[in-house]
Amino acid sequence: MTAQLRSELLKQRSTRTNLGLLSTMLGLVLLAVLLHGFGLPAKNVDSTSEQLTLVVGWGEKLGAVFAGLLGAMSITAEIRHGTIRPTFLVTPQRARVLAAKVLGSMFFGAAFGLIATALAVGVGSAALAARGMESQLDGSDYALFLAGGAAAAALWAAIGVGLGAVVRNQVPTLISICAWLLFVEGLLVGDVADVGDVGRFAPGAAAAAISGQDPDTLLTPAVGLVLLALYAATAALAGSLVTARRDVP
Amino acid sequence: MPADASTRDPVVAASSLTKRYGQLVAVDELTFSLCPGTVTGFLGPNGAGKTTTLRLLLGLAEPTAGEALIFGRRYRELEDPARRVGAVLESNDFHPGRSGRDHLRSLALAAEIPSSRVEELLEVVELASAADRRVKTYSLGMRQRLGLAAALLGEPELLVLDEPANGLDPAGVHWLRRFLRRFAEQGRTVLVSSHMLAEVAQTVDQVVIMNRGRRVASGRLDELTGRGKTLEETYLELTAREAS
Repeated sequence: MTAQLRSELLKQRSTRTNLGLLSTMLGLVLLAVLLHGFGLPAKNVDSTSEQLTLVVGWGEKLGAVFAGLLGAMSITAEIRHGTIRPTFLVTPQRARVLAAKVLGSMFFGAAFGLIATALAVGVGSAALAARGMESQLDGSDYALFLAGGAAAAALWAAIGVGLGAVVRNQVPTLISICAWLLFVEGLLVGDVADVGDVGRFAPGAAAAAISGQDPDTLLTPAVGLVLLALYAATAALAGSLVTARRDVP
Repeated sequence: MPADASTRDPVVAASSLTKRYGQLVAVDELTFSLCPGTVTGFLGPNGAGKTTTLRLLLGLAEPTAGEALIFGRRYRELEDPARRVGAVLESNDFHPGRSGRDHLRSLALAAEIPSSRVEELLEVVELASAADRRVKTYSLGMRQRLGLAAALLGEPELLVLDEPANGLDPAGVHWLRRFLRRFAEQGRTVLVSSHMLAEVAQTVDQVVIMNRGRRVASGRLDELTGRGKTLEETYLELTAREAS
């Protein structure tokens, strides 16, 4: 298992995939936080919850999206390029390979989440300060936001691995993750079809809850963490089971 | 073939091996075995079931019926398979953005093989100077050699190659032939599928010929071609007869 994990970490370091994902994520965090930090009316961003959810929260959301993509690509890229064959020839215990992918992706995913939330906090505070507004977030809010953002992204990386192992085809997997987190969940918990009571149990809402966003609507951070961990474990287990049973492409 | 080869346990044993995909029978009750120290050519037209058979042997696909054993076990039950079996199924199973060296190192790490072995093999397959280049810049011949290096990482006793000569230039084909002969002379075993019959006739001790999922002939090369026929004539006769 240690051997497979070391192999997986080298695989993720030895292509430009993760670097490309990281730079795209940073660009989007910058754009989203600046637009919301400067663009939203002052009365909409003068409370702790609003600043956390509407401005810097983009760091958590985009961290989770890109960690999910990173996890999914760790398996779908192997299938797409055929390296899954030598991988399984060396380690025919496919569950071990999947477990290494989950752990390796969680490691890089946590880093993505931490970097994205840190950038969002920095840029968001600067944008509000530039408008002469005071940050309503204190040290414990920041600490929860960064730690929660890292945990949410790590767990979404595991969901990405599981989903990728089930779907196998790269493009539909990546589109599903983006569409779900950036669009579908917005509909579920948004104003259009407000099913907030159910929507807060969705995996993206649970991820947001971990970092302390929107406490009036979402679950508490601890419950969000447990729920998202359950989603991640289910996805990883499903991916591992179908991979063990199906023929290798 | 060593004289006592038949008295030893088979390296590969397929018995009534069958694989169906819905209505299509890709491999139909295939039985054959390979003895140590031999080079076996695995022949047949496109779609005969050769690659499917190799995938079944290597645990990448599950047989519908029958069994495929390597060193007496199913591949997925082998301990440390990289040190017993090396295989190349496709000539392009690489991430285009990863260097040749990192490709080998990632497999070596998983198999707990020291990185000195990676450097050694890069020399053997003459890729040392290109090792840090991304695989997308490699020619087909270089990719074949990189795949072969990956298969050889664990110094396996059995080598399984699917069309290894594709894309090799004449010098590369010559190199491969000598390499496989030396490999077998050390008492190790090679199973190589190929369409290049003239090349096969110069390299292998025995052949297994498949057509439409079934074995249509097998045996030592000199027995199959002993009646004044070339391997090509024998092969075309066998595969044409089946088709009609």
